[in-house]
Amino acid sequence: MAAPTQRMRPVAAGRPAPANPRRHRHLGSGTDPHVGRSRAGTLVANLAGLVFAVVMAFPVYWAVNTAFKPVNEVETFTPQFVPRHPTLANFASALNAPNFLIDLRNSLIVTLCAVAFGLVIGFLGALAIARFRFYGRRALILVILIVQMIPFLSLLIPLYLTLNSLGLTDSLTGVIVVYMVLVLPYTVWMLRGFIIGVPRELDEAAMVDGCTRWQTFYRIILPLTGPGLVAASIYGFIQTWNEFIIINTLNDSDKWNLMAWLASNQTLRGTTWGPLMAGATLASLPVVVFFLIIQRNVATGLTAGAVKG
Amino acid sequence: MKRRIAVAAALAATLLGAAACGGKSSSSSDSLDGKGKTLKVWLMVDAQTGWPAVVDAANAKFKADTGASVTVEYQQWTNHLTKLDATLSGKSVPDVIELGNTEAAKYVFNGGFADITDKKGSFDNSADWLTGLSAPCESDGKLYCVPYYAGARVLIYRTDLFQAAGLKPPTTYDDLTADAQKLQAAHGSDPKFSAFYMPGAYWYAAMSWVYGSGGQIAQKGSDGKWKGTLEDPTAEAGLQKWVDLAKTYSKGDPTKNENDQDAVFAQGDSAMLYGNGWELGAVQSQHQDPNDPNSPMVDTAVKGKVAAVPLPGAAAGQNLPSFLGGSILGVAQKSKNAGLAAQWIKDFTGTSSQQALLAKGALPNATNLLDAAAQVSGNEATAGAAKNSWFTPNAPTWADVEKANILQQALVNMVTGKQSVDAAAKAADTQITSTLNAS
Amino acid sequence: MYAVEPSTRQPVDPGPQIPVPALGGRRRRQRLAAPYLLALPTVIVLAALLAYPVIKMIMLSFQHVTQRDLFTGESPAWIGFGNYAAVLADGFFWTVVLRTIVVAVVCVVLSVVVGLAVALLMRRVAGWVRILMTVAMMLVWSMPQLVSTQVFGWLVDSDWGVLNWALDKIPGVDYTNHSWWINPVQGWSVIIALVVWGAIPFIAISLYAGLSQVPRELIEAAVVDGAGPAAVFRGVTFPILRPLVGIVTTLSAIWDMGIFTQIYVIRGSKPELDYYNLAIYAYQEAFTKSHYSPGAAISILTVILMLGVMAFYVRQMFRIGDAD
Repeated sequence: MAAPTQRMRPVAAGRPAPANPRRHRHLGSGTDPHVGRSRAGTLVANLAGLVFAVVMAFPVYWAVNTAFKPVNEVETFTPQFVPRHPTLANFASALNAPNFLIDLRNSLIVTLCAVAFGLVIGFLGALAIARFRFYGRRALILVILIVQMIPFLSLLIPLYLTLNSLGLTDSLTGVIVVYMVLVLPYTVWMLRGFIIGVPRELDEAAMVDGCTRWQTFYRIILPLTGPGLVAASIYGFIQTWNEFIIINTLNDSDKWNLMAWLASNQTLRGTTWGPLMAGATLASLPVVVFFLIIQRNVATGLTAGAVKG
Repeated sequence: MKRRIAVAAALAATLLGAAACGGKSSSSSDSLDGKGKTLKVWLMVDAQTGWPAVVDAANAKFKADTGASVTVEYQQWTNHLTKLDATLSGKSVPDVIELGNTEAAKYVFNGGFADITDKKGSFDNSADWLTGLSAPCESDGKLYCVPYYAGARVLIYRTDLFQAAGLKPPTTYDDLTADAQKLQAAHGSDPKFSAFYMPGAYWYAAMSWVYGSGGQIAQKGSDGKWKGTLEDPTAEAGLQKWVDLAKTYSKGDPTKNENDQDAVFAQGDSAMLYGNGWELGAVQSQHQDPNDPNSPMVDTAVKGKVAAVPLPGAAAGQNLPSFLGGSILGVAQKSKNAGLAAQWIKDFTGTSSQQALLAKGALPNATNLLDAAAQVSGNEATAGAAKNSWFTPNAPTWADVEKANILQQALVNMVTGKQSVDAAAKAADTQITSTLNAS
Repeated sequence: MYAVEPSTRQPVDPGPQIPVPALGGRRRRQRLAAPYLLALPTVIVLAALLAYPVIKMIMLSFQHVTQRDLFTGESPAWIGFGNYAAVLADGFFWTVVLRTIVVAVVCVVLSVVVGLAVALLMRRVAGWVRILMTVAMMLVWSMPQLVSTQVFGWLVDSDWGVLNWALDKIPGVDYTNHSWWINPVQGWSVIIALVVWGAIPFIAISLYAGLSQVPRELIEAAVVDGAGPAAVFRGVTFPILRPLVGIVTTLSAIWDMGIFTQIYVIRGSKPELDYYNLAIYAYQEAFTKSHYSPGAAISILTVILMLGVMAFYVRQMFRIGDAD
């Protein structure tokens, strides 16, 4: 059996000391050392895990595989699992294609801004809903829930007209605002769960100790909802990163994001598979980087607040 | 239609003379002094990938004429109408818009395009425009858009396989099925072999069989009401022939459309294909970098083994009519630069532009240019096919029939056997009738 | 039991009544204003950007708006509940409603069950296998949805597909030229596989993290008491995991009721009627057929339907909120 300290989550260890009572528990992350384990059982489990990983990764592999194929190997009756004549031409093509780098930059700007603003505004809103009782609170909760259910595409034309009258069509600002609205309800809702999860006794104790309301927020609530912010930003990121119909409608091609750029590779003369897959591979890199940065917080972030639901 | 173009030809020198038209001066309200102004033009991707130089040349000429500059924004066929609808309902619209000719009527009828009747004479070759392109541009005797280019479909076949089987290119439809029969028998061991590759949702093809049998998709009655006519015996006879062909001689996926038929044909397991003129080139070689029209070509398995003829009809010399697809250009009703926009269209569709387009593989927008295109070696088939063509019913809501996949759905049901030809045709007629009469 | 405690915690005093000493009148007023100030940005953003479009959509659903009205700004005719009546009287609408629900249920159940199984599996495997599993799931996550959909479409393609090629290798099985889209059950299986494939990383990683919060003392105690793995899962692990499972289930339900991109892209932006769900139906009506008003009516009916399905969950949300 491993020593308990080794099983402590890095998150808990890296967190500044202030009150974090929930983290004083065992947060064992390794395998359960108990519950009837046999050697054969572990072997079967490992095998199943490997099969799972292969099945999950296969479509990704196929995309990357295609990205390295020359144009005449892309579509063949007999699938080719490895390019016969591997080439970087598709990557060059994607990089040289009009607007690829511009749209990549737009993607980053739009996604990061929308997620960041959404987090700030959503956090305040969540704080209001979770920590206060006020007139209109239920209505706000209901509105936030309903907004998540509206098929956003059906709002396309009214949305366009609204932004058009505000002079925000064909601008990144307009898209940032729309995407922020897209992620805001989810963010509020998610963070609310995390804030509720912070025991109110902590607030009280802090205030009794002479903290101002701001200090209480800054020292207690904010650090304890950190994982929630991580979780909300992941979803915000994925949602806005993958959107292409709204931005395609609102903006011209030099103000698209990468997904709209990828979608435009599908012409009726046939899809340009090679550059498309190369572009997709390149487009995935920022996401992989994003995940690598926050990866250690992912698991904790996803659970900590959600469990409180 | 949307789609592409046909490989065409250079023009006879005489055409240049015929086309050297003079535009009458534009009315005073449409100032042509464009200094400091920027015209916004929406073209479809075909221009970007196929003939960017033609666009550049037109822009340069336009700039010289008016002093205004141009920004061209390229649109995708899959979703351009959604974006267009949203944009046209707002304030900042593009000045010039390209649409497929089957999409045009809807925008002409619904006030999307400006009336340019008084400028008609100023457009090159306007007296000889292809009806399939110009008809949807007209409403109540007024003109709302200008033909841009066209395309027609031909029979592409494998010369080596025909030779090996001792066959000649078919001249009648009976020849064609007899040849297909022999080829299919000769290659029975290849499970991917299609004597005639025909995907199930390829409605541009299927409707050629309908029109070739004397049928049509829909008809306008004396009461002004439209009626779907696929269930008429003539139309059903054509559909039946097409279904028989697709079922017997094609291994194509009955739920696919024609989008990747070139790639299938290029594998070398198909003997015949019904495709646009330009597909004759596309099946033989592809650009190494599909996004760069100047990149070197990569040959496929069928390089040098294909040729094209018009798809034969009932008797020799009588072709099955080809769908005449193409594009049109219109001035947005809300454009603040209507005069400049019309001038740009004039520059872009002028005879010199058309000439350059032909060299890039499109059919011209006028019949007088078509004759010349047919004289160029290698392109006889396409230009010939364009002469006997059919066009979709010129109803304001025709595009809705197309977009709602009514025909594709019916054809897929026929080929997969989910419905009989008669039942599927009747079901399609019901939907066509209600869609075309909707307001 | 800490992990579940907060949700079962007895209601404590609601916020404003927290006994904070020395609250002067001025501070008190600030306190009362605080929630409004905090909620203000959210409200402003939602109202500024969504109020007009949503009201417009509701109006649309009671009008007969043509493309001409849209382009020229002419005022459309009001037709009351005509669009709703027409949509509700259409048998196809109910087919689509049923299909949407069935597909969503299958997707949700599969995603959650497989996700949970994967989470449990991750606890059981060796460290390096777990890392491989995590990496695979992160790759899935990072792949643009648009592209993964196209790749799936390609994998099952009748001409280029790896799936047909692999199935064909099985002796006695002929999958050459097999089309997965003729039979809607097969077609939907592909779409559902795609949706579940895309959803598993989120669910599995969340649940795996949740599992690591199950107190080991409890499991050890259960094992000492002679419980087998299944009994431990039923009696100890799952009860603690239940709130989290509830969250991922509701989230998946909202998402899976609104599947759009996957269907639209995999059917080449021309989905057959067999592949309509409510999201596709509303989009096709409004945009490809320019029937804006019926399209808006379908969207609003979709929201109402989802609210109905989620009624239980909505109530629970209020309850949780009120408890705090």
